[in-house]
Amino acid sequence: MELSQLTDAIKTGNRKAAGLLTQEAIEAKCEPRTILDSLIAGMDDIGARFQRNEVFVPEMLIAARAMKESMFILEPLLTAAGIRPEYTALIGTVQGDLHDIGKNLVAMMWKGANFNVVDLGTNVPPQKFVEAAKEHNPDIIGLSALLTTTMPSMKSTIDELKSAGLSKAKIVIGGAPITQEFATQIGADAFAPDAASAVEVVRKLVGAKVSQPVA
Amino acid sequence: MRKVRMTGRERVSRMIERKDQDCIPRMESFWNDTLKRWRTEGMVDDPNTIVGNDFQGLCWSEPFPYPGQDIVIKEDADTVTKRDAWGQVNRYWKFREGTPEHVAFPCETKQDWEDVVKPLLLAKGPSVDLAGAQWALKLGRRQGRWCHLTGLETFEMTRHLLGDENTMIAMIDDPEYLIDVSRTMTDLVLADFEYLVDNGIVPDGVWIYGDMAYRSGLLCGPPLYRKLVWPDHQRMAQWAHDRGWPFVYHTDGDVNGVIEDYIKAGFDVLQPLEAKANMDVRNLCPDYGDRLAFIGNCDVMVYATNDLDAIEKEVRSKIEAGKATKGYGYHSDHSVPPSVSFETYCYVVDLVDRYGNYD
Repeated sequence: MELSQLTDAIKTGNRKAAGLLTQEAIEAKCEPRTILDSLIAGMDDIGARFQRNEVFVPEMLIAARAMKESMFILEPLLTAAGIRPEYTALIGTVQGDLHDIGKNLVAMMWKGANFNVVDLGTNVPPQKFVEAAKEHNPDIIGLSALLTTTMPSMKSTIDELKSAGLSKAKIVIGGAPITQEFATQIGADAFAPDAASAVEVVRKLVGAKVSQPVA
Repeated sequence: MRKVRMTGRERVSRMIERKDQDCIPRMESFWNDTLKRWRTEGMVDDPNTIVGNDFQGLCWSEPFPYPGQDIVIKEDADTVTKRDAWGQVNRYWKFREGTPEHVAFPCETKQDWEDVVKPLLLAKGPSVDLAGAQWALKLGRRQGRWCHLTGLETFEMTRHLLGDENTMIAMIDDPEYLIDVSRTMTDLVLADFEYLVDNGIVPDGVWIYGDMAYRSGLLCGPPLYRKLVWPDHQRMAQWAHDRGWPFVYHTDGDVNGVIEDYIKAGFDVLQPLEAKANMDVRNLCPDYGDRLAFIGNCDVMVYATNDLDAIEKEVRSKIEAGKATKGYGYHSDHSVPPSVSFETYCYVVDLVDRYGNYD
């Protein structure tokens, strides 16, 4: 079978086809890693088209849903083969903020890019980010804020992470009031203006390669 | 000094018609936490009397399936999780303001809508308060304000019922479901308005609130907006126009991509024009100012710097751009947060007084 059909199923958000084609690929003895790459290629395509304003949040959501369907089938084989996500990301909405829509979209896209994502939820105090970072040793820490009044919590969180000596993780921030200028000001490593560019940003930060389309 | 030779009602009507005015109309929105702060900083008056307010809302149409419902599900020291009149479960701050966390929605499936929520909604009478509208109209007329029917639009209401994720997935998976929700909710709001009008409430216009967009554009994207939401927007605007009333639309976020669609739907005014979402009257007025009036766009994030020079530059440039079309009213670009001091806001009002007159 052609794995490009599986990539297409992700691109079009066809959950049923994605599940069936994943199963078919497994039965055809395709390597789990290769199947995974074809899924990631589909999500990368969606991300690129989102950045070009060719698709929007609904298309991203159904693509992520199709990917989740495939991963449910594929994950046991990946685990058995010892294939784990190469990178780990923590993400949370900072203390004082309960908003989670943007954070959830970013988490979805990071999972679609095969990051292991640990979602800390909302109203996350700086100390909880520190504890989670010590536990999970992430490559990326994502901070989200919707309100101008909670932006200072981003700085507090970054300061605590640095005081705790957790310098391995690169810190990415995002949210409605956030700008590159603010990110630079508070010592974040990067700013992501939306969920699709958040994938590009974190890949650059960790030096990850982008998946190539699978023939 | 503000030059006042007209009532707010005259001023707003003339703004919408692009006729000469004495000064730009004005209104403002404030966080409750902002007003709490300002009371400790010397504010004694109603903030509407500080900035001036040319608008009077007469009602609030929000057709709840479970009116009056306010059930506490759990709480901790800082937050409380409640099921509200939409049937939505949200987590709120107890002691401060902020957008709640959305936990669950009444229409997790289409069956929930068809079998439970829609029948409940259709069995209900008007969701608006006639006595309240009569009082508000009397007050508004006495104060010389432009009086408007107010309510929610379909996308906002659909999100309350289905949640953001389910709404946007349904727009692709099952557009007929979305259209059914949209049409039903729009019908209910218009029925509310009809009820008030039939009982003697005669407004100057209609003001509808929605939130379609975020900093990077429409949540659902223009194509799905045009197919699934625009028809009901157009229907609402037409309802107002059929009665000779202008139509005002509130949305946050970057809606630059659908301004022409709004004009085509019959929107007369757009508000509040969120600056951090790329909305800028200095661009919008030259391009659309002959067909759409604008209220807002003065950036609260600049106010929050408390940098008076920056604030003057911001307010002056926005007002001057708006005045060039005669179709502009003052409002911040969203609502004034508690990071803005009372002293700074008084300065903003001075600037609006200074630059907002038509000579």
